[in-house]
Amino acid sequence: MEILDKLINIALIAATLRTTAPILLVALGGSFTTKAGIFNIGLEGQMLAGAFFAVLGSIWTGSAFAGVACGVAAALAFALAFAVLVVTFRANEVVVGLALNILAGGMTISLMKAIFGTRGSIVGHGIVGLPKVQIPGAQALLGSWAPLVSGFTPIVYVAFIAVPLLVLFYNRTRLGLYIRVVGEKPEAAEALGISITRVRYIASLLCGLLAGLAGAHLSLGYITMFTENMSSGRGFMAVAILIFSNGDPLKVLAGCLLFGFADAFSLRLQTFGFPSYLVLTVPYVVALTALFALSYRARPKIIKETLASMQKLLSTDRNSVPADKNPQ
Amino acid sequence: MSERLRAVSGQVIALGVALLMGAIIILMVGESPVHVFMTLLRGAFGDQEKIAGTLLQTTPILICGVAACIGLRGGMFNVGIEGQLFLGGFAAAWVGFTFSLPTGIHTLAALALAVAAGAAWVAIPAYFRARYNTNEVVSTILSNYIAVLLTSYFTIFLFKRPGGWSETPPILATAYLPEIFAFSRLNWGLFIGLLLAVGVALVFRYTSWGYGVTMVGSAPKFAEYGGVNVKRQGFVVLLLSGAVGGLAGGVETLGVHHRFMEGFAPGFGFDGLIAALLANGSPVATIVTALFFGALRSGSLLLEVDTTASREIITVIQALIILSVSAQVLVRRRGDSQAGERRWKF
Repeated sequence: MEILDKLINIALIAATLRTTAPILLVALGGSFTTKAGIFNIGLEGQMLAGAFFAVLGSIWTGSAFAGVACGVAAALAFALAFAVLVVTFRANEVVVGLALNILAGGMTISLMKAIFGTRGSIVGHGIVGLPKVQIPGAQALLGSWAPLVSGFTPIVYVAFIAVPLLVLFYNRTRLGLYIRVVGEKPEAAEALGISITRVRYIASLLCGLLAGLAGAHLSLGYITMFTENMSSGRGFMAVAILIFSNGDPLKVLAGCLLFGFADAFSLRLQTFGFPSYLVLTVPYVVALTALFALSYRARPKIIKETLASMQKLLSTDRNSVPADKNPQ
Repeated sequence: MSERLRAVSGQVIALGVALLMGAIIILMVGESPVHVFMTLLRGAFGDQEKIAGTLLQTTPILICGVAACIGLRGGMFNVGIEGQLFLGGFAAAWVGFTFSLPTGIHTLAALALAVAAGAAWVAIPAYFRARYNTNEVVSTILSNYIAVLLTSYFTIFLFKRPGGWSETPPILATAYLPEIFAFSRLNWGLFIGLLLAVGVALVFRYTSWGYGVTMVGSAPKFAEYGGVNVKRQGFVVLLLSGAVGGLAGGVETLGVHHRFMEGFAPGFGFDGLIAALLANGSPVATIVTALFFGALRSGSLLLEVDTTASREIITVIQALIILSVSAQVLVRRRGDSQAGERRWKF
């Protein structure tokens, strides 16, 4: 019995990692725009477009990876449209984001009808799903713990590896620093001769890249199908996470693991016969509760942190930016 | 006046750009744009029944649009109208099938509970927005998903009509909103929407409270120095917006469906928000934009029958309209880019 319990637990953790991956990717994508000072509510639409075109690409080329590339390209197109409207035309980012989400929803359904003649979902048609990566030796070394590190699709690994990479990116690279400066103190960025427009474009496109991967994971990862609005609010949950994590990769990871767990746990509850409608609300309730609880807790800290981060930023500016400028 | 003329002409040009892009997308899905647009037109205004159908679709969009206008005026994005609509719709249905009251009073009671449900549903996001500045866009969007699932749960697990298909028992005839014509389900809800739009516009125009709300929306610092309690007002604005959203659901239930069904009014909340944005937050202009979107929706029903295109093509067109309107700087002089920046911020 004990062993059985343990197995279920490990399975649950493995499921958590699986369900965390898409929301983690899309939230990490959003961390670029958050850090660059753009409120990007359009993540949902980018993810949805990514999921749809990944399926299309997979059917057309017969290759899952080409499908992923198609999905990423579609998400990039949406991200580019977002950047053009928000950065160049200075349109309101909430309006543009919401409109792009609606566009993605309507477009995917219209194209589905036009190409496959069906409503609701695309199943079969020769969709090729992503392969699962078996890490050699995992079974021998870890035994029953092996499902925790082995047997995921490549995108899951990408999602988790992206976390430390992003930490390094923000703290150790020039572009990372530029993105933070542009977000936190655009005047300082301007004074330093950083092109705010260009940095925000880059941030938006990087965001589209990861959101597209997240979408491809949804439709080619563990289930190989596309359904109407299959991103089902994950992009919005990612925005909630971004608000209380301020886009810091490690905090994003913590938030996403919470949601991944809520997601996996609610799926499990469903199999135990709880009413599915109530169970399905769990991730949204968790997202809202976290958003409210953390904004309540953060109330005196907001001012302090803003001041502290400004001071830190100004001192980093002085130390590192001139050094970077030297090679010119 | 010329300022207003320019604003309107900009809106019209943006509309043209959007329709052009829509035409390209229609070509992409393998249909003729002319055929699609003519079908839409025919489906919306072809005969008196079609016109009544258009007005029927306009009603919830208009009421939701007024809800969005109230929020936008006060600088709040209530993206949760969809959820408030669902809860309001369910609340009205519950009063309608649970109690038996005299005609008229029954309708009023059901609408009152719908209003209360809408306001209650937005109360928590509104409180946190006002008190701790928690982003209301995200919290109201997320609450939509919960509202839709919750009403489905109520409908299917708690109040399912015996033998029915994911719907509640029908409401009593005493709670119906009276129909206007014999040939259509068009009902007094339309008048409620029109009165509401005009009434809210008058409140914004002629009362000091309305002036204060507009000030908070456009220049919060100024309003605060002027003695407006910005936090409390933000809370009240979102609450009122949610209340009107709930009313929209109640009207839809009592006037059209006479019961609550799963997914009874998909997308009306978002359509209302878009209509309000296109109307630049003016409730009276929302009447026009809601009629436009109502016609699109109504026309799309025929689209599904007469062409191979899916009716969601109209959501694409709507999104394109909003995008091109939001990028209006395109058609303005360069010097006006500041005005473009402040668009939607009122």
